[in-house]
Amino acid sequence: MDPFSLKISLYKVPLQYYFKSFLMDNLDAARLQMAFTLIFHIIFACIGMVMPFFMIVAHKKWLNTKNPIYLKLTKSWQKGVAIFFVIGAVSGTALSFELGLLWPEFMKHAGPIIGMPFSLEGAAFFVEAIALGFYLYGWGKIPEKFHWFTGVIVGIAGVSSGILVVSANGWMNAPSGFDYINGEFLNIDPIKALLNPAWFTQALHMVLAAFTATGFAVAGVHAYQVYKKRQTDLHKKAFKIAITFGAIAAILQPISGDLSAKDIAERQPVKLAAMEAHYETKKGVPLYIGGIVDAEKQEVSYKIEIPKALSFLAFGDFDAEVKGLNDFPEDVRPNVAIVHYAFQTMVGIGTLLLVIGLLFFISLKKKTWWDNTKFWLLFTLLAPMGFIALEAGWIVTEVGRQPWIIHNIMKTKDAVTPMPGMIYSFYMYVTLYSILTVAVTWLMIRQIKSLNNSKLA
Amino acid sequence: MLYVVLLFLMISLLLYVILAGADFGAGIVELFSTKKSQQITKKTVYRVMGPVWEANHIWIIILVVILWVGFPEFYNVLTVYLHIPLTLVLLGITMRGVAFVFRHYDAYKDKSQILYDWMFRISSFLTPIFLGMTAGSMLSGELIITQDYEGFTFYELFIKPWFNGFSILIGLFFASLCTFLTSILLIGEAEGTDRPIYVKKSRNATIAVILLGFIVLSYGLIYNIVFVTEFLKNPYTISLVLLSAVLIFPLLKSIKQARKIISRSLAGLQVVLILIAAIVTHFPNLIITSNSQISILETAAVDEAINVLGMSLIIGGLIILPGLFHLFKSFKMIKVLEK
Repeated sequence: MDPFSLKISLYKVPLQYYFKSFLMDNLDAARLQMAFTLIFHIIFACIGMVMPFFMIVAHKKWLNTKNPIYLKLTKSWQKGVAIFFVIGAVSGTALSFELGLLWPEFMKHAGPIIGMPFSLEGAAFFVEAIALGFYLYGWGKIPEKFHWFTGVIVGIAGVSSGILVVSANGWMNAPSGFDYINGEFLNIDPIKALLNPAWFTQALHMVLAAFTATGFAVAGVHAYQVYKKRQTDLHKKAFKIAITFGAIAAILQPISGDLSAKDIAERQPVKLAAMEAHYETKKGVPLYIGGIVDAEKQEVSYKIEIPKALSFLAFGDFDAEVKGLNDFPEDVRPNVAIVHYAFQTMVGIGTLLLVIGLLFFISLKKKTWWDNTKFWLLFTLLAPMGFIALEAGWIVTEVGRQPWIIHNIMKTKDAVTPMPGMIYSFYMYVTLYSILTVAVTWLMIRQIKSLNNSKLA
Repeated sequence: MLYVVLLFLMISLLLYVILAGADFGAGIVELFSTKKSQQITKKTVYRVMGPVWEANHIWIIILVVILWVGFPEFYNVLTVYLHIPLTLVLLGITMRGVAFVFRHYDAYKDKSQILYDWMFRISSFLTPIFLGMTAGSMLSGELIITQDYEGFTFYELFIKPWFNGFSILIGLFFASLCTFLTSILLIGEAEGTDRPIYVKKSRNATIAVILLGFIVLSYGLIYNIVFVTEFLKNPYTISLVLLSAVLIFPLLKSIKQARKIISRSLAGLQVVLILIAAIVTHFPNLIITSNSQISILETAAVDEAINVLGMSLIIGGLIILPGLFHLFKSFKMIKVLEK
């Protein structure tokens, strides 16, 4: 007899009972948990991936000018990088487990096919951790130039990891590198899977989005400090470095967005139709801006219509035919309202940030703007915008892919774990990540406070 | 190429156990210290582990990636049936990483440090226990692999395999191994006057490892656990364990003389020997369920996937290992190299 077995009657309830009460929402709970962890991880990972670039620019300026403000700034940013790297790393470790824990059937089949981006990502991540070890602890211990260069490696390795992970996601949208015959994955070619048709457009869009979101967020935090007139010298310099990255990325983003739209129109027409809440297949389709979706009546009200624009954006031809949702069986359509609203949010904010990015470059010529408190208030208010757009973009691509986990091959409901009670796991993760967020925010506030209270040499 | 992949799997497992093990041990040593030596330990640990601890923990990601890419069905069994202990491991890893960062990067050193310290110590203690429990459940013979989920209770399928005497004992055994590694590592790192603290701790940890090892084996014999009975029958296993046991004598001697290079190498070697012994017992059947055994070789992915994985690992290894080596060396982590 096993002395440790618990003889509580609850455990003797047949599994069937759990299934009846949980099976319905087990899938939803698993999806919610995945969405929730990804939403958090993306923020931590993006900041951890982009901030090293701000840090090495400040560091370079310190090496060139020997202005102690830049040294102070570099060292403050490096703390931010370290904190976000670790939080990104632990939430990333959690995700790498969750892929298997939540979607065991998916990983069983997809693992060997998309193993390559993941194993390379592991390698890139390792390089990043090593380089970061050198950078953080190398002050005054290793040659100056080599020390700076390790910071560059941190940045490059971080972006490479990001690209590789997005490539794995691209494969779920554009599965390739295998033949699917009678429910079996044959003739596996991992390199072809890595270089799937979606990898480039998705990775480009994501990298630019990460730079935009982090650039505006970091600039916003420093703008607020200038607005509050705390250590303005330092915070103006910090603002300028961060916003330059953010603004350039925001200005380039529409080009990448256009590539993505054309790509999706070809590969995942149902996703495009959902993004635009476009129900009937037509030629010369207008583009809807905003609007409220009525899924039952298949109508979009209160929208602004730009004639023939969708046909042009999707196919480069004003009279091209765009497939509508009604051309697809109901069980392969994503949730139209969510995808449409998320898409509108992303494009709306993206456009706003593009305009603000241009304004920033004009402000470089009109120095008086920089003395106006409203200028700083504006950038403070914009701080979270990039991340809202970035999350909305991921909702478009992920919810838009449903009901498939591997587009046209495997449905999400067939991949979920057979273990019941996922809703409790979801609650646990919500609690954990909420605490994490509060804690990291608190830590950051304390960092900035201490920076403001310190004397500059 | 399959054997290249297996070799990398083995290397990552060993490195994770030794490096992350020493890292977990740091928190456990702190947990079982007096207030004064806690502060000394905290400082020493940060100096020694600070630059490398992130790198130490990446081995588990490599481990997981090799498993899911190279041995998808093997990984599938772990993720489906050991969902709960793996989630607990994750929870521990997360709390620990966060606590480590917070206690060193918080701009103000005030009372919140107490919270970070306890979070760090407790999660350092619990995570290796859960890791050990997960490993133990693979070998406990309690796993039930089935397609007929409705024929069993939730407890039978998802709790009993890891929440049983054997798995818990393996968990405690692994935690004691971690403590053992760290306390020996710290002897050489501590300031001269603090050394006796760690010499004493090392001795206690060694005794704990021997005692728990003995309890695990006796428990297995009494309850007739297949893994243990075969462990004791296998001549290779026995000789590896005996070798590891014999090494305790030179180890105790080197601890007494505070000779850090020899004591560290011996401690590392002992842990490696014990692990290899456990793997050899049943290789390639690394999962023992209630009615069958799962061979890791039979769960290998198709050749194309294995080949690409093997190549990626070789190339990655060529980039990473020299960098990692240089990192350890630059921050004097491997003092062995200097003298």
